Amino acid sequence: MVNKFSIKNLDMYYGDFQALINVNMEILDKEITALIGPSGCGKSTFLRTLNRMNDLIEGVRVEGEILLDGENIYKDIDVTKLRTRIGMVFQKPNPFPMSVYDNVAYGPRAHGIKKKAELDEIVEKSLRRAAIWDEVKDRIKKNALSLSGGQQQRICIARALAVDPEVLLMDEPTSALDPISTLKVEDLAEELKKDITIIIVTHNMQQAARISDKTAFFLNGELIEFDETDIIFSVPKDKRTEDYITGRFG
Amino acid sequence: MKKKINFKEGLIYGIIGVATLFTIGILVFILGFIFSKGLPHLDSHFLTSQFDSTSAYVDVKLSEGTENPLGLILGEMTLKEKGSIEKQVIVVKDIEKTSLAESAVNNKGQNLAISKNDIINRIEGENVEGKSVDEVNQILNSINADKVTLRITKQGGGIFPMLMTTLMMIGLALLFSVPIGVLAAIYLVEYAKPGRFVNLVRFATESLAGIPSIIYGLFGMILFVMTLNFGYSLLAGALTLSIILLPVIIRQTEESLKAVPDSYREASFGLGANKIYTISRVIIPTAMPGIVVAIILSIGRIVGESAALLLTAGTAAKIPSSLFESGSTLTVKAYTLAKEEANIELASAIGSVIIIIILILNALSKLLSRKITKI
Ligand SMILES: Nc1ncnc2c1ncn2[C@@H]1O[C@H](COP(=O)(O)OP(=O)(O)OP(=O)(O)O)[C@@H](O)[C@H]1O
Ligand SMILES: [Mg+2]
Repeated sequence: MVNKFSIKNLDMYYGDFQALINVNMEILDKEITALIGPSGCGKSTFLRTLNRMNDLIEGVRVEGEILLDGENIYKDIDVTKLRTRIGMVFQKPNPFPMSVYDNVAYGPRAHGIKKKAELDEIVEKSLRRAAIWDEVKDRIKKNALSLSGGQQQRICIARALAVDPEVLLMDEPTSALDPISTLKVEDLAEELKKDITIIIVTHNMQQAARISDKTAFFLNGELIEFDETDIIFSVPKDKRTEDYITGRFG
Repeated sequence: MKKKINFKEGLIYGIIGVATLFTIGILVFILGFIFSKGLPHLDSHFLTSQFDSTSAYVDVKLSEGTENPLGLILGEMTLKEKGSIEKQVIVVKDIEKTSLAESAVNNKGQNLAISKNDIINRIEGENVEGKSVDEVNQILNSINADKVTLRITKQGGGIFPMLMTTLMMIGLALLFSVPIGVLAAIYLVEYAKPGRFVNLVRFATESLAGIPSIIYGLFGMILFVMTLNFGYSLLAGALTLSIILLPVIIRQTEESLKAVPDSYREASFGLGANKIYTISRVIIPTAMPGIVVAIILSIGRIVGESAALLLTAGTAAKIPSSLFESGSTLTVKAYTLAKEEANIELASAIGSVIIIIILILNALSKLLSRKITKI
């Protein structure tokens, strides 16, 4: 296996506040990596440095190296290109107020695909990959906001998949969903793992244990422990990891 | 348990009630007054004819008709002239299908159609004022030529030019102010870094919004009418209006852009879309109802404006045939009618039209605002 992401001595600042402290991490291709840790420890911040989403925030500074397939994402790769290679799914489903079709076709269109036949094919394929085609195929011209929360989230996943990303970043993608929708998204993540690398932030220990290959535990901006999920949840090396997963703090 | 209302509360409720009734009463009184004076004038003639009456000599080819070879059904009408002298005139009541009155030509050889309600003053130079319909038909029937020369008067008293000028003013002023205002708002919300500059711009737009329009009128008169030498003109009026509208459009558009959830921006950037694409495909469409409300409010402002236009667009009661000609909107005409010609009836009739337009605009913007809150 090859390293998809290689993160070296990563420091990240919001103005004067250091949100990530010397993070080192190797993320393998076609694995699911779960990021866990108490609220405010920097999980979202870390995730958003990986697709440079933090660039949008005033006063953000990043030091150290993040390599994607060996290329520095802050130096060697154009940010729009980077964001097509790395898709993102947010905590709250955020479909655009337009039709299901236009939502999914948004990314391809933004990158210049105009032919209807080609778009039709991408939309259907992405909706199938996001396991929502059967539910929406008759309502594809309907406004995406009229769907249920769980369906909206899978539309957002389909939208992210439509630009054919190599990596999918998911920031607590199921925290706003009911248990059944949650399971659907989890199954979907495991299915997608065959083709792409997934990094998922979660507050749900069972979820991390169920679906991830590796788990990273963050605390106050530091990466405390990063290992096979089985090991983290059975024999963690660090006392703080153990305290967190057994629910003693956080 | 029923709450007991004590004397003090009762008094307050009483005062509030009286104040409310008073307000509603005034509104009903104003609308009732204007409508009762103005509504009787509102008919298709009022809305579609010129304000000033015009007279001309026209040649009409004879054909055939039930009453005369012109195919015109004539009637008698009493006309009140200035100084309350009354005179009886012959007026065109209807035009038969066989008539060639539509293709009448004036003495310059241009087509000048005779239409309903036109007054016939002279036939082949002979004054027909005071004559009866029968007498006039006799004259017409005795003509031994293939055409006849008539002097006709197209009756005025309509507000068609003012309606057209108002529409032109709306179109032109929006043409200048909407693109600039919307782009400025986009810059302020999507591009400018929050800080001193943005605060300064915001302070400036807010101050501008509070300045009475007569000040803008004076400014427009000095800059556009005099310095740039546009004269009292459509263009000077529209440019002045644009300046008045800018703060309204900028603020309203800013609000609707800010109401677009950041999650839409994140989703779009997260898909690798660039800023322009994000703004044009997601942000503006989502903010569109708000921008349309800004436009409707602006139209209301244009329709209601008088002071600034009096000083820049002038008071001509005709359709401006170029950007550099004067023209008065409905509101300006209502003002000059009431102030200079003491014609309260006509001013009220125009007032009724203005009120109806404003009511429609208000209903439209309410409808759209409800649509905004739905998303
Ligand atoms: N835009 C910002 N500006 C300044 N500080 C920020 C910003 N966003 C986050 N922070 C700070 O950075 C730290 C990490 O925040 P982050 O959102 O990454 O935490 P998290 O682990 O995702 O928490 P949660 O589990 O609640 O989502 C927090 O202390 C937070 O206050
Ligand atoms: Mg978070």
